[in-house]
Amino acid sequence: MRIHRGRIAQHKHDQHLREYLKQNLNELIQQKELIIDGKVKTQIATLDLPTLKFAEEAQYLAQGAGSGGAGSGAGGGAGDERVQALGGLLGGDHHGKELRVELDFDEFVKLAQEVLLDELQLPTFHDPARQGEVESQDIPELDDLDRIGIRADLNLEETMVQSLYRNARERGVLDYDVDVQQDAWYFIEDPTTFQNNRSVEVYVLDVSGSMRGEYLSLVRKTIFILWHYLERRYPTNLRRYVVFQDVAEEKTRDEFFCVESSGGTHISTGFEKAVELLEGAREYDKFLFMFTDGETSSGDFDLAKKRFEEARSAFDLVIYCHVNPGGRGIGGFSEYVQETAKAQEGAAFANLMDLETIRAAMKDFLGFFDAQAVRRGAGATRR
Amino acid sequence: MIQEFQPVIRELEGLAHDRGLVFDPVVFQITDSDEIAQVASMGLPNRFIHWYWGGTYKELVLQQTKEVFSILELVLNTSPSHAFLRSTNTYLQNVLVIAHVFGHADFFANNHWYRKSNKNMLNLAEQHARLIRTYEVQYGRDRVEKLLDALLTVATSVNAFERSPQEQRKRLIYYLEERAPLEEFERVLLEAIREEAEYFDLIQRTHIINEGWATFVEAELLNRLLSTKEWASISTQLCNRPAPYTIGYTLFAHVRDQDGFRRALELRQFYEDVSLIDTALTEELVRRLDIFVYDAKEKQKSYELQKVKEMLISQKLFKGEPRIEVDPASQGRDLLLAHLDEDRKLEPKRVGLFLRSVYSLWRNPVKLRANGKVYTYDRRGLSST
Repeated sequence: MRIHRGRIAQHKHDQHLREYLKQNLNELIQQKELIIDGKVKTQIATLDLPTLKFAEEAQYLAQGAGSGGAGSGAGGGAGDERVQALGGLLGGDHHGKELRVELDFDEFVKLAQEVLLDELQLPTFHDPARQGEVESQDIPELDDLDRIGIRADLNLEETMVQSLYRNARERGVLDYDVDVQQDAWYFIEDPTTFQNNRSVEVYVLDVSGSMRGEYLSLVRKTIFILWHYLERRYPTNLRRYVVFQDVAEEKTRDEFFCVESSGGTHISTGFEKAVELLEGAREYDKFLFMFTDGETSSGDFDLAKKRFEEARSAFDLVIYCHVNPGGRGIGGFSEYVQETAKAQEGAAFANLMDLETIRAAMKDFLGFFDAQAVRRGAGATRR
Repeated sequence: MIQEFQPVIRELEGLAHDRGLVFDPVVFQITDSDEIAQVASMGLPNRFIHWYWGGTYKELVLQQTKEVFSILELVLNTSPSHAFLRSTNTYLQNVLVIAHVFGHADFFANNHWYRKSNKNMLNLAEQHARLIRTYEVQYGRDRVEKLLDALLTVATSVNAFERSPQEQRKRLIYYLEERAPLEEFERVLLEAIREEAEYFDLIQRTHIINEGWATFVEAELLNRLLSTKEWASISTQLCNRPAPYTIGYTLFAHVRDQDGFRRALELRQFYEDVSLIDTALTEELVRRLDIFVYDAKEKQKSYELQKVKEMLISQKLFKGEPRIEVDPASQGRDLLLAHLDEDRKLEPKRVGLFLRSVYSLWRNPVKLRANGKVYTYDRRGLSST
């Protein structure tokens, strides 16, 4: 039997890495561009032994990169960027090479969830959905395609084609080198006739000027914990992402985690876009998660109220997260939502100031499922 | 599968002997990319398992999967030599590898420094690995792992060329071996890590000459074996290899053209990287190899022979690492280390971590003179004056 020493060593390395990342999670999660090419890139060099190294030096030995070594002539002139440092290469091993740690986004999220759940001591959740809003014993007909699905429903043909496109685009070769994360297409039930339970989650983020640092950290931590629960509750989660300032735009997941903050705040546009995205999806459990500091432009207040009401009737639950790292008092539009959420169903208000308030928000959120279970038990029908 | 290659192995072996090469038997085996990545990251196939190799292994596997970089072969300095051919190589690639391996085997058998080297490293590494597993059970995994981390950190101070006990004592690992207040099992592990480090240090210090010679032999043999068309495609590949291969190959080819093949054989017998560079590198070759001293701030390249040579030699002499020596003022429980190139700055973050490792072995205050300061690590942690 072959002992995979390399894999065992890698496992040990990754355990150390996880510990290291856990300690640095707060710093990492605040990176403005969290996902680049599907990866979370860090400033952490691959775990290294603590040998001494020189600080950055002005002069070093180098070779013209890509010039083909022997017989290639003198290469480009001064200022040519094609310069490859020779330091690590000449030593004959990898000791001099600085590799930056990269993680798949999903791996990063799992890690973050692990840390956060541990820190927050949130309740575990074992209540997967077994019945849809429209209950059915029929085996669903998988006659549509989606980028999100389960491995057993992988559409090989579409996935291979996608892989071919990607390889042609990225590497200039017509190769089937499937990367499931990037290429996969799945057979799914047509959303308009969907009879099994899954969630539609619309995440709306206010990217006006203040979105940075601790603000980002609170938003992302909340989202990651929400995912933890939502993924346990629903077999499939269909996620849409919106960012807004003066106008709202739909974004991909990767873009959503790399947005630039700028401009004013028109909360109404965020709600409006979220409702728009529900088009054709009437039979899910529909969630809207809005993250904002609540300081909508003065002229937008009434329209924002109207759009909020529209969103409340379109979604099963609108969770309005007032992102408030400074712990200031709640006023303006946020105050309005807070009052509405107290008095009426279909909305929840969270004042996100720190981990403790995220914890409280999660408890409220889980309360929704309890209430849902009670309604189901009583045989009530929902819209 | 290896049978498929036996005829060409015999043919290349014959050609090598005809060219005056002499070497121990070579055991070829076919293996997959994963095993090659494993051996390349650990250095030896049966070495003890440590998290540090895991990062390199992961990176190599990733590079091979993405076809950014592939290791085509691996050969070990043992008697007999063991060489691994990658099963996914084309037939022609493996023919290249076989010729290249005979170059390494000849170098291992004839080079002055390698003749004295430990050819029993496979068995020794196995023994060390078993010992470590035993100690892990006896003393606990965490304790042994922390000890190994510290030992591997100070092990970079070995020098396989240094035989004088007086000079050796200036190097941290030998000093600790002689004087650190270690428990018996810790001392045994220090010796084990030091032995392995010396084995790898020799490889590092002869990387250019060894790879250069192997590539040179590969070219010499294949030139006789392959058709003109095949040879033309192969010779282009030879020029596109990593720097140590191309630098070494170019130096040997130049020596052969200037002074004949016998002179090249002499160099492979008596030289190592530093003496080869010092003897054979010329201004014309610096230009041809396109190696230069680069000023990143000014974005200026300098092809000045003396400057390039000095930097290349210093890189080889000290493995690109800071020159740390035990200061003669170290007495009794005081250990004082000095960074000899005082005008070159060390990464400050690493200083504390490094000294903490040394302290874990020395168990008494450790001082380091560097960056215009004296850093001290003692039971209270790091401080500097």
